[in-house]
Amino acid sequence: MCRILMVHREIEQLSQTYYNKAYQHESFLKVSLQKKEVLAGCCVLVSCRLLNWPITMATILCLINADPTLVGEVYQEMISALKIEAPIVLITDVIETHIQEYKISSLHLPEEFAENSKDLTRCAVALVELAADSWIVTGRKPVPIIMAAVYLAWQSLRPTKQRLKTSLEKFCQIAKVNKYRPAVKRIAEIKEALCKLGKEIPWVREAVTPDNVVQHVEDILQHRYALLRRAMRTHQDALQEGRKAGFDNSLTEETDSVQSSELVEQTPNSSSVKQCEPNEEGAPQPRDGDNNPCTVSELHSGPHERNDVELNWGKRVLFAPPCVIRAKRRRVEQPELQDVTGDEEISDSEIDSYIRTPQEARDFALTQKMFEKS
Amino acid sequence: MDQNNSISPFQGLSSPQGAMTPSMPMFSPIIPYGSGLTPQPVQNTNSLSILEEQQRQQQQQQQQQQAQQFVIQVKKNNFLFSPGLPGTSGQAPQLFHSQTVTGSTTTALPGNTPLYNTPVTPMTPITPATPASESSGIVPQLQNIVSTVNLGCKLDLKTIALRARNAEYNPKRFAAVIMRIREPRTTALIFSSGKMVCTGAKSEEQSRLAARKYARVVQKLGFPAKFLDFKIQNMVGSSDSRNFFHQVFSLGSHYEPELFPGLIYRMIKPRIVLLIFVSGKVVLTGAKVRAEIYEAFENIYPILKGFRKTT
Repeated sequence: MCRILMVHREIEQLSQTYYNKAYQHESFLKVSLQKKEVLAGCCVLVSCRLLNWPITMATILCLINADPTLVGEVYQEMISALKIEAPIVLITDVIETHIQEYKISSLHLPEEFAENSKDLTRCAVALVELAADSWIVTGRKPVPIIMAAVYLAWQSLRPTKQRLKTSLEKFCQIAKVNKYRPAVKRIAEIKEALCKLGKEIPWVREAVTPDNVVQHVEDILQHRYALLRRAMRTHQDALQEGRKAGFDNSLTEETDSVQSSELVEQTPNSSSVKQCEPNEEGAPQPRDGDNNPCTVSELHSGPHERNDVELNWGKRVLFAPPCVIRAKRRRVEQPELQDVTGDEEISDSEIDSYIRTPQEARDFALTQKMFEKS
Repeated sequence: MDQNNSISPFQGLSSPQGAMTPSMPMFSPIIPYGSGLTPQPVQNTNSLSILEEQQRQQQQQQQQQQAQQFVIQVKKNNFLFSPGLPGTSGQAPQLFHSQTVTGSTTTALPGNTPLYNTPVTPMTPITPATPASESSGIVPQLQNIVSTVNLGCKLDLKTIALRARNAEYNPKRFAAVIMRIREPRTTALIFSSGKMVCTGAKSEEQSRLAARKYARVVQKLGFPAKFLDFKIQNMVGSSDSRNFFHQVFSLGSHYEPELFPGLIYRMIKPRIVLLIFVSGKVVLTGAKVRAEIYEAFENIYPILKGFRKTT
């Protein structure tokens, strides 16, 4: 496996050591051959991670051609058995290796579709970073995100009519990769985030919609930090307007806090886009969210927050994880069961309702017999 | 390419010094022991276990004297959160937690955990009268209680399945009768040995009531069922910390986005497993008593608050 992946010798050796250890370990002594193969794959994965070789589980899955749940299970077992703590793989590191799988260079494709892999990588990485800032990456499988980023990057590098008309499926066909279903959703999410930024481009006159945003992607990516700042400001202003219109009572209180938030925002140390300062400011700035009160909601901790919490609080922020924006409705708790002591009387009638009458029981038995016979 | 800046979201808090400093004021930086212990980076675990011992003794003395305050001090240094920083041992750090201060339970500090810095020293209040600024103000909701009870007699599952309306029995698939009642809305697994598992209740009392109802049904079906050794085996709670999290950071836990979208954090004391999701929702499981769930949430909340990120 290591040969196929073309990894360093050390990784190969490390994975062999782990495999030997795991093989002898009691939890893996009497497992099936398939599980042992999966175990080998997991050892390679762990060794790559420990030695900073970017690789995803999906790659291992492809190599050993196994069920993802089984691989996951074996991986977790192995980690706890051998007490390894593997660092997490950064998605941006993985992009480059993944892009090499996509056969989109001019060797493989005609001019209109071909793309230089370096440009593609650069653009895709920027898109993934943007996605990460917009909460699209956290908690999701990385490979569909990469696929969505590569697809959009490919479209945006030369936004001809033909490319724009190519669907994800067709793209995967020409690049000779397997399509991942979640990638379609990720594309929509990334496009949405791009639109939010695209709206702030000063020189674009028409409305930026998911359909035409691809043409502006290059511009958006180039100036994304500035656009992000602008979008934040616009959003805050919009919220402020909304609150002024909505809440008369707590008007002064809220505008005060909003003003204070703006003041805070303007001081250099607490720019709302702290981590996105385009020019390096020497040592990395603290990226802690506490000095970024760019969501007005955070200032209203306590009673106000309580009241507003029923409104989807994800909608009050410019960027939020999609699961918060489109929150599912929860089933309402039955109120009758609040004050149960556990020792109440149980009524006979209730219990009788759970027991069949003799006639019912006979019918049931008869039906069962009939089923068994047929 | 702005590698440093752009990578930052993935590395969570990659800034060494200042990462958590702005948030420090929100936690009362008190070690209420007067023990003279000052937080310092731990060089080896031996010296730490001595510190722990001292702390514990001091604490037991203080217990009787002072009102309990709920204080969590988390010394947030770089190594807690950046996997890539030099100087860390490459291990994801273990969050060191709570010392339960209830009555006579001693605070068994896990002496062997590899610690990188000052222990977190929360003290759970005996009376829940905590200053608002120090407690989260959010109460986790119990979602599921699993309990077991012994009916004390052998049961004929076929008869039960035949004569009870709310029962299903498929011996080829599973060797127990699955029975359900409407109120409280629960499910029970009834085994031929007479043991029963009751799941789905939202409180301990409801679970007990439900188990009694199942026992009564079995009684009515003609078996000499009793109600022995009722015990709550597991409690699951959920809560919303109302922050968003980039989950690249590792709190001495597992985060594998390819396998599961949440971060799995195994707290040592209390022994609770928390699933933390990007939306800020937290699922807590593994508790035997309700207080453990509350305690675990109060332990994790300040840390999660510190991790709060906005775009």
